Amino acid sequence: MRAFRITPARLAAGILLGSLSCAGVGYAASLGLVSKSLHAWNQTLTKANCNQSAATADDTFVQQGSPASTAGATATTLTIRPTATLQDYAFIRFDLSGCSLPTTGGADSAVLTVRVTTSGNDTISLFPVTSSWSSSTLSWNGVSGLTIGSTATGSFSASSTGNKTVTVTADVDTAIKAGTLWGWELRATSGTATVAIGASENNTSANRPSMTLSDEN
Amino acid sequence: MKRLVNILGAVLAAALLSAGVAAAASLTFSTGQIAAGSATVTGCTSSALTATRNANNSGNVTQVAVLNVPQACAGETLAVTLENNSHVSLGNSSTTVGACIGGCTVTLTGFGTVSAASVGFYALSLVE
Repeated sequence: MRAFRITPARLAAGILLGSLSCAGVGYAASLGLVSKSLHAWNQTLTKANCNQSAATADDTFVQQGSPASTAGATATTLTIRPTATLQDYAFIRFDLSGCSLPTTGGADSAVLTVRVTTSGNDTISLFPVTSSWSSSTLSWNGVSGLTIGSTATGSFSASSTGNKTVTVTADVDTAIKAGTLWGWELRATSGTATVAIGASENNTSANRPSMTLSDEN
Repeated sequence: MKRLVNILGAVLAAALLSAGVAAAASLTFSTGQIAAGSATVTGCTSSALTATRNANNSGNVTQVAVLNVPQACAGETLAVTLENNSHVSLGNSSTTVGACIGGCTVTLTGFGTVSAASVGFYALSLVE
């Protein structure tokens, strides 16, 4: 076998070949980067509070015992009764148009507050309403024409008088995207008592419904 | 022997120099390619698309919808990062834009538990 001698020329050729090889790897990596195009951008979110009071509330209650009557804008309390064939349901909503929220906005947090003025052993549940209604026209007979969610958003015990809060973030978030908040139907899902909550027309402002709303747009 | 040392020294210097040049060239090239990447923005859309998120009753983000994504972006990877007011990532998700006619809404889920109230920015990207 013939011995391989490292001559200066062979050594130089080896080093040059190694250098060129390294440069080649560098180009290949760079080529890999160009093969993708990228479009990146940021969207800034604006946060605000748009709390609701009786001034933007609309509420009423409907009576199975008087199916064609409307409590309209005169009732100072909203009655909720679970008695079979004589049920009463309450309805509450808020007009969010003053918040100037785009349909791409949403609710970060929303909490409804109602005040129980007549207590009883009932659990009151809130079901989201997603079709239009007005306190001046809604009656028991009209409830069947509304679109009302079958799953309760939340509930509270009416066993004592005072403020009761229910988190309604998801419903309000959905409503902002839909363009209008149609509020909730409040009905007793357990218990036997007739209870009442303050209406937006209640003479005592602390008895009226309200809603805190933190939003983004 | 002295001649051999001189030759080796010269060759080594040349090799090191060429390696240095090669590295510099690669760096310059990479910088150039980032600029070239920006130039390809017009490939599918040059507009900033609008995103909107849904929140559950706990106030956490359940999904992000990117609206009116052009049909030309079908097949590209759309990525969304939820950032706080300091641009720190709170969660991210990506998906491949499907085929749709006249623009579509692309919905992304799987951001983890991120409070909607803490999100200050959406960082969005489309990668071919």
